[in-house]
Amino acid sequence: MPSEAVEEYLEAIFKLSSEGREVGLTRLAEHLKVTPASVSEMVRRLEREGLISYRGRGRGRGAEEEKGPGAGRGPRGGAEPRRGISLTPKGERLARTLVRRHRLSERFLTDMLGLDWETAHQEACRLEHALSPDTEERLAELLGNPHTCPHGHPIPDSRGRIPPSKLKRLSDCCEDESGCIDRVEEDEPQMLQYLASLGLLPEVEVEVREVAPFNGPLLVKAGGAQYALGREVASKIWLREK
Amino acid sequence: MGELAEVSQLRERVDHLFALIGNPNVGKSTVFNRLTGMGVLTANYPGMTVGVNLGETEYAGERIGILDLPGTYALGAVSEDQVVARRGILEGKPEVVVVILDATNLARNLYLLLQVLDLEIPAVAALNLADEAERQGLHTDLEQLNELLGIPVIPTVATRGDGLDRLMRAALELAHSPGEFFPVPFYYATDIERHAREIAAEIGRSGLEVPHGIPARALAILLLERDEEFALMLRESDKSGGVLSLVERARDEIRRTHGNDAAVVIARERYGIAGSIVEAVQHRTERQRPSWGERLWEYTTDPRSGLLILAAVLAAVFFALFFLGDLLARAFSDLWEVLAAARLERMIYGLLGEGTLGVAVKWGLVDGIEAALSVAIPYVFTFYIILALLEDTGYLNSVAFLADRVMHRLGLHGRAVIPLISAAGCNVPAVMGTRVLSTRRERIIASTLIVLIPCSARTAVIIGGVSRYAGWGYALLLYLILFLLVAAVGVGLNRLLPGRSSGLVMEVFPFRRPSARTMLSKTWMRLKDFVFVATPIMLGGSFLLGLLYGSGWIFKLEAPLRPLMEGWLGLPAVAGLALIFAFLRKELALQLLLVLATGTATASLAGFMDHRQIFIFALVNAIYIPCAATFAVLLRELGWRTALAISAFTVLLALLMGGLVNLVS
Repeated sequence: MPSEAVEEYLEAIFKLSSEGREVGLTRLAEHLKVTPASVSEMVRRLEREGLISYRGRGRGRGAEEEKGPGAGRGPRGGAEPRRGISLTPKGERLARTLVRRHRLSERFLTDMLGLDWETAHQEACRLEHALSPDTEERLAELLGNPHTCPHGHPIPDSRGRIPPSKLKRLSDCCEDESGCIDRVEEDEPQMLQYLASLGLLPEVEVEVREVAPFNGPLLVKAGGAQYALGREVASKIWLREK
Repeated sequence: MGELAEVSQLRERVDHLFALIGNPNVGKSTVFNRLTGMGVLTANYPGMTVGVNLGETEYAGERIGILDLPGTYALGAVSEDQVVARRGILEGKPEVVVVILDATNLARNLYLLLQVLDLEIPAVAALNLADEAERQGLHTDLEQLNELLGIPVIPTVATRGDGLDRLMRAALELAHSPGEFFPVPFYYATDIERHAREIAAEIGRSGLEVPHGIPARALAILLLERDEEFALMLRESDKSGGVLSLVERARDEIRRTHGNDAAVVIARERYGIAGSIVEAVQHRTERQRPSWGERLWEYTTDPRSGLLILAAVLAAVFFALFFLGDLLARAFSDLWEVLAAARLERMIYGLLGEGTLGVAVKWGLVDGIEAALSVAIPYVFTFYIILALLEDTGYLNSVAFLADRVMHRLGLHGRAVIPLISAAGCNVPAVMGTRVLSTRRERIIASTLIVLIPCSARTAVIIGGVSRYAGWGYALLLYLILFLLVAAVGVGLNRLLPGRSSGLVMEVFPFRRPSARTMLSKTWMRLKDFVFVATPIMLGGSFLLGLLYGSGWIFKLEAPLRPLMEGWLGLPAVAGLALIFAFLRKELALQLLLVLATGTATASLAGFMDHRQIFIFALVNAIYIPCAATFAVLLRELGWRTALAISAFTVLLALLMGGLVNLVS
């Protein structure tokens, strides 16, 4: 049985990598609010235990700097090995179980006990380490096997599978496709805020009206207005198909 | 950071100061023009390209000053419009803010209003474009809207001036009794309000001086939204440590609770409030058939038909600049000659004699004014009218959408197309036109490219010199070289300048019928800028040239130019003089060459320059810094350092290209 600290790390790495960006030591340290030194120590330990693999900064351009014309054509990954920290299949399984327990607990605390989201989140952080597989299953049954947590994030099933994501980048959409904004990547806070002020926010429905040729911008309809969004911007917006 | 002097002067003069704010393209400028007429002034914050318009009006016997703030979607710190609009409100301290709402997109417009109300500034709202909304089948219950917001909401049709009287009355009433402003308070999610309360309490405890004296809750919300400007102002104070760390903790908590950045969560809350208001006050019936204009409009952004339309529009712009501009130019200069030139010349020679001074004053006044009338003003005026038309119909944004990709290669984005095209008419308005670009980097790149594009004056030299004496093939080759040069410089600058082109995020507007009044007043305001910047320089330049020529001093400069001209460019040294003084007025390059070389402007060029030399001469003339007026406008728009850098760059480039052509040919 891994320690609580190990579990926290796995969960954090899982969350950060599901945001679609490289998980580096600094980011992980920020997320967990610990010093970079203790992160690198723990990362070495997790690597030894075969839960994660870590590829430090090498040559070439990091994913975050990839801003050229070809950027944002479909989710990254595939043939190119991920840089930074990533979970091994074993680590991934453990992380998903934790995430499942966390999100089930949140559902239980908000739906059944009527706690607010924030308290539910904090309680769930403690509960996730304490639940046994049996309790986990009974909890899921009691809740009617929910698919999402109160924040709308998917709950992995009992075998750790996440229902195939129907997320795609806005930049990958064709004319007349529509969907609901799931999230906007946050590497540029200014752009995020600007989009938010236009009402291009999570849970807002958008429709692609035109796609300019030669990898040009997209014309997108949202909330009664039309916006031209350049490719780089559109690749930061993730849509959920309806 | 100080208040604009123009605003404080205005406040001194008037009884009340109001500010107009609203989303882009909602008819705010039309309201402003209707209220204030033509006597308007633009003031710029240092380093900002978008300005605040100032005007005055009289209502019920009281003088009212009006600040027209740039169109913006929000009062944040993430774009120049937002920053300027917010500073206009916070530093200009208007007694009442008039928020212009677009009834066709009420939720997004209420978002801005809610931000104004967050700052606890007295506000009245104008519901504009309500007629347009009705045609789209959107009906608004005004009374209900009034009640839900708790502030006066006046329906207006700005293009006809309807409702503006009531709007002013409502604003004035509020200005007279600011204590009676009770908007309906609105609240964000309970945890956000709790964080805001805690932060506000900490602000109170810390004894911090709140920037601009905004309410503590408003500051707390801004900090939660990660507003860079306010965070920066706070960080300068040594009392802010506790507040800032509390904000960081709260932001972390909000992210954990809501799964998103606090800025996004608050924006969502604000949209939620706006949305619930809209739901209560607007109901939708079937929309009327879209007009032919609206249907046509859809084709402007379609990749296929849009490019055709764009080509047609650009051709029309070219045509208008060349033919309409030319027509005006000839009309103006003919009128000037018939009515004043000869008489003025006689008068000057009569008073000062035909000596050095007489010649100089004659060149300065008679020829200088003619140059302004025949070269600059007609093209500038024509261009500005076209620009206003393209802007006010909303077409400019459709163009930006289509041209974005190509412009990206040059480090620009779609909106830069229009200034670049207009540069072929005259560089001066084109450089001013770069104000449609949002970052300084883009403006520098666009301005550099603009000065490399041959304006009508340089075209006159190319056509009148190269094409006439060396053949049209050479002229075509010259244009090709210039075109490639512009592309290469754009790509190069995009690589070299730090930063990258900003991602395009821009609203593409539905077709709006432009108001002739607003277009004319816009054109006049821009033209005024040009007349006051460029004309004095043309006059001064002509005077200086006359002085140097009249006194014979000009020839003293020939010797030092010899190595460069003869050795490197392979041109007679006297051509260097023509090139140098063509800086004052570019189209003079040819005439000047003839005058300086032979003492008469009627001699033939072929007599002392061969085809190759004429080609090099015109090439150098086309590339190096266009003219004094363009330089002045660069200076004004981008500051002396950048203006000098661009100028030096073009001079070096011109010499380099000229020398290369001389070497290879």
